Amino acid sequence: MIHLKNVTKIYKDNGVVALEDITIDIGEGEFVFIVGTSGSGKSTLIKLLIHEETATAGEIFVDNRDVIKMKRTEIPYLRRSLGMIFQDYRLLEDRTVYENVAFAMQVIEAPQQIIRRSVDNVLEIVGLGEKKNHFPSQLSGGERQRVAIARAIVNAPKLVVADEPTGNLDPDTSRDIMDIFKRINDAGTTIVMATHDKQIVDSMKKRVIEIEDGHIVRDEIKGLYEKIGKKDVVVPKIGSNNQKFGAGSVRR
Amino acid sequence: MKLQNIQYYFREVVVSMARNRWMTFASIGTVAVSLFVLGIFLILIANMTNLASELESQVQISVYLKDELKTQDQENIKNKLKNLTNVTEVRYVSKEEAFQTLQRRLGEKQKILEALGESNPLPNSFSVTVKIADDVQKTAEIISKFNGVEEVSYGQEVAINIFDVTRLIRVLGFVLMIILTGATIFIISNTIRLTVFARRKEIAVMKYVGATDWFIRWPFVLEGTVFGLIGGGISAIALRSFYSAMSERIYSTLAFFPIVEQHPFMNYLTVVLILSGIAVGVLGSTVSLKKFLEV
Repeated sequence: MIHLKNVTKIYKDNGVVALEDITIDIGEGEFVFIVGTSGSGKSTLIKLLIHEETATAGEIFVDNRDVIKMKRTEIPYLRRSLGMIFQDYRLLEDRTVYENVAFAMQVIEAPQQIIRRSVDNVLEIVGLGEKKNHFPSQLSGGERQRVAIARAIVNAPKLVVADEPTGNLDPDTSRDIMDIFKRINDAGTTIVMATHDKQIVDSMKKRVIEIEDGHIVRDEIKGLYEKIGKKDVVVPKIGSNNQKFGAGSVRR
Repeated sequence: MKLQNIQYYFREVVVSMARNRWMTFASIGTVAVSLFVLGIFLILIANMTNLASELESQVQISVYLKDELKTQDQENIKNKLKNLTNVTEVRYVSKEEAFQTLQRRLGEKQKILEALGESNPLPNSFSVTVKIADDVQKTAEIISKFNGVEEVSYGQEVAINIFDVTRLIRVLGFVLMIILTGATIFIISNTIRLTVFARRKEIAVMKYVGATDWFIRWPFVLEGTVFGLIGGGISAIALRSFYSAMSERIYSTLAFFPIVEQHPFMNYLTVVLILSGIAVGVLGSTVSLKKFLEV
């Protein structure tokens, strides 16, 4: 599904080496956490996958598309094949829940009847069928992220990429959101999620790739947030909402 | 382009204009006011240029004939005048007609003419209208060498002054038109940039969900067209009533002032304003969008 070989990313404007010599293979149907501290390079990795940034060297294939050699006009078609979810939801405030989700189908020029059916269906999946005529401002953070998830999966992508999806949510809501991701993954969709939410990583027991200073330092199947034996691995029960301290994106 | 997309684009324009009501109002208002001001200056420039041509066309050469010239000789001179390339019209002015004109011009002071008694000292003449006013001096020199011509006069000093003035008017008018057109384009495209900027989040989301650049661009291009059409239309309507009111005032007070006829001039101006409104609207939105499409 995703194939990265010797990928290096150096930001042109300030010369920061965000990623260096990264090689990753992710198969279809996998659920992968990308963990690391703020500024480690995990957000850059996500940006490279969706062609928001272009790699300086190496090769990247997403769903058999050559992301690096891709022409500008091909980028929309890459993005249609994957769903994206962000920490700040990125909903359109002046449109209803239904319209926000339908929007993703309108821009790929889907027929009207199919849009109606798919949007209703996907809103049921994320549990927002009742609130389809609400505006984002009338929703809680967790509900907004559900709308964003609905929007990401409405076109039935093979891959969902999420950058700190629980970053603004409390632990209980985060768990609900993770349940939705788990269900999507169980249905066969590949999920790549950058996060530094220790609790959710530890509770899911999925593949974990840890990035530190632009290098992969760990790639474990059924891993935890931190390497066992590295530090204390005690999972704090309360007040672990440490995401407040950083959006996890690379500061340029 | 699919029919469903066209419907989508038009619905997007209507919905976006309704959602951003104030922005829409401000943009259309800016377009209308800018084009109105531009229109006023275009009217002024057109009238200045018209005045210039009018002044130039009044440059005439008076060809005074020697007394006791035979009718046959007069006819010869008239034919020779008509054959000159720079001459458009030749009119015979008899000494009697010249005398009456002089009487009329003197008005109340015409009593001084009584001192002349029955004699008329004025000569017969031809009044010659020229095609190219700039060449009036050359033409006058040629005519002065004709047999039977006593003297040639074309108000030398006055004519040269008029040419200086009309040249200045034309150059000024042109420069003014360029500057004002530039300013109008700048103001309108800046306003449109604001409406695009207000929707940058929406554009970014569209990019993320895989919309093509043209799919994003079309509603903005259409919106620019609508802004230009409505704004240009409003300015044209306002200018038409402004110009007809102004023309009436001028006819009733300064009847001699040569103003450009309302038809077809105002029709041309209407078309020009609406078309330039649309052009600036479309260009403005396309150029402003460019930055936000680079995601």
